[in-house]
Amino acid sequence: MITMWRIIKAGFTNFVRNGVLSFASTTIMVLTLLSLSTFLIVNIALTTGIQAIQEKIDVSAYLNDTAKEEDILDLQKVIADSSDVKSVKYVSKDEALIRYKEQNKNNQKLLESLEGIDNPLPASLEVKVYDPAKLEQVTKVFEEDNYKGLIRKVSYKENKIVIDKLFSATEFIKKVGIGATTAFALITLIIVFNTIRIAIFSQKDDIEIMRLVGATNWFIRGPFILEGALYGIIATIITMISLAAILYYTGPSLTNYFGGVGSDVNSYLYNNVVVILLVQLGIGIIIGVTSSWLALRKYLKSAK
Amino acid sequence: MIKFENVSKIYLKDKAALDDVSLSIKPREFVCVVGHSGAGKSTMIKLINMEEKPTKGKINVGGIDYSKFPKRNIPYLRRKIGIVYQDFKLLPKKSVYENVSYALEVAGISNKEIRERVPKILQLVGLSKNSKCTPDELSGGEKQRVVIARALVHQPKILIADEPTGNLDPKNAWEIIDLLLKINSFGTTVLLTTHNKDIVDNLKKRVITLSKGKIIKDEKVGKYTV
Repeated sequence: MITMWRIIKAGFTNFVRNGVLSFASTTIMVLTLLSLSTFLIVNIALTTGIQAIQEKIDVSAYLNDTAKEEDILDLQKVIADSSDVKSVKYVSKDEALIRYKEQNKNNQKLLESLEGIDNPLPASLEVKVYDPAKLEQVTKVFEEDNYKGLIRKVSYKENKIVIDKLFSATEFIKKVGIGATTAFALITLIIVFNTIRIAIFSQKDDIEIMRLVGATNWFIRGPFILEGALYGIIATIITMISLAAILYYTGPSLTNYFGGVGSDVNSYLYNNVVVILLVQLGIGIIIGVTSSWLALRKYLKSAK
Repeated sequence: MIKFENVSKIYLKDKAALDDVSLSIKPREFVCVVGHSGAGKSTMIKLINMEEKPTKGKINVGGIDYSKFPKRNIPYLRRKIGIVYQDFKLLPKKSVYENVSYALEVAGISNKEIRERVPKILQLVGLSKNSKCTPDELSGGEKQRVVIARALVHQPKILIADEPTGNLDPKNAWEIIDLLLKINSFGTTVLLTTHNKDIVDNLKKRVITLSKGKIIKDEKVGKYTV
């Protein structure tokens, strides 16, 4: 018990006394964790972004004002019967107007322009599918003779090119991102290991003296391992503060730029802050402890 | 107390650092080991402290047969032997007090006992006033006293001094030797390796002379004749 306490105390004392080395090791560790976190966030942003886009890939079939309600309900039923379809929602002219007003509540001029005239907005059927690739097939119904007369315009066709491009772009970005971040993470890992190795190398005489006065390997190793873990813990705290600051300042502009996707990413990060903290803490401690352990092995061999 | 039976240590092929050495040192003895550089003095100490293993022969220290001693217990053996080094081997970032107390901490001695023992031993070597200094704030003679305090704080049965006066002026050197004599008078076996003819000749103690890894002389009251 007393030995354990002494090892812990020595770990903290060494961390403070080896100020410069501790600073260097911790800084390198912060860079490693920041690069890994950036990867994590980019990955989450892409996944959430794609999900959000997929959610939004729906088809709106705008209906002629002359279309009869029973025909519309019939069409709605036909579409809903397909197993690929997630939902079909009928948006009446009135609902469309309410939505439009809500979306443009900050734009007085637009709202004023609607006053005193008949509702110009068409009713529509909003179709959502499970797999965006099936959209085209589902929308073929609109071209059938029975329903052709009901439809004024189908929105999917206009967006198709943009949607396709977005898909291939995100796939590409994901692949490049994973490759680059893996390479970067490996490089920083090697740098962290070497920094700790040099820190321990500079104390090899001390380690020799400790052995000569009868310290057991664990008594020598303990403080170094704890120092390695401290690098990880402090680096995690610094990284989390940096990340929070970065997200705080870039968050609003991200949300503006990407619309809903930006705030999705932000809320995802805030909701999973504990997981992210634990993952970073885990990575930091594992790198610190393993590096110290491996670097020490050489100096703790017993008599030849 | 210390027994070597036909001990050889060979680092490089055909060049023995120690060559078929046999000797016996009794409890409470004060023995000087002399010889040129490379005669085998340091190897002898490394063998006693289990920093090296003999290539051939048997070593027995304080009743422990080294050939049967498990590796993992080496730290416990080292706590029973006090060693004083020419190059001090002090931990540079620790104070005088911490350097001495470290030797007790590794052995799991209680804080209360450490607080009692360390000041006493620092008083014995005359360093009570310097207990908060770091090694680089001390003179060579003072550093060597810290090393002796560290070696003694365990109350070992054997104290080995490996050229403890090598880096000191004559006045400081004699002060260290006087300290070793005092420790010997308390009942500790002292093994002193040295190059200093003046000291060896004036001590009038047992002298073992090594040359090229062999014992060439072992006299009860010897002189420095290398």
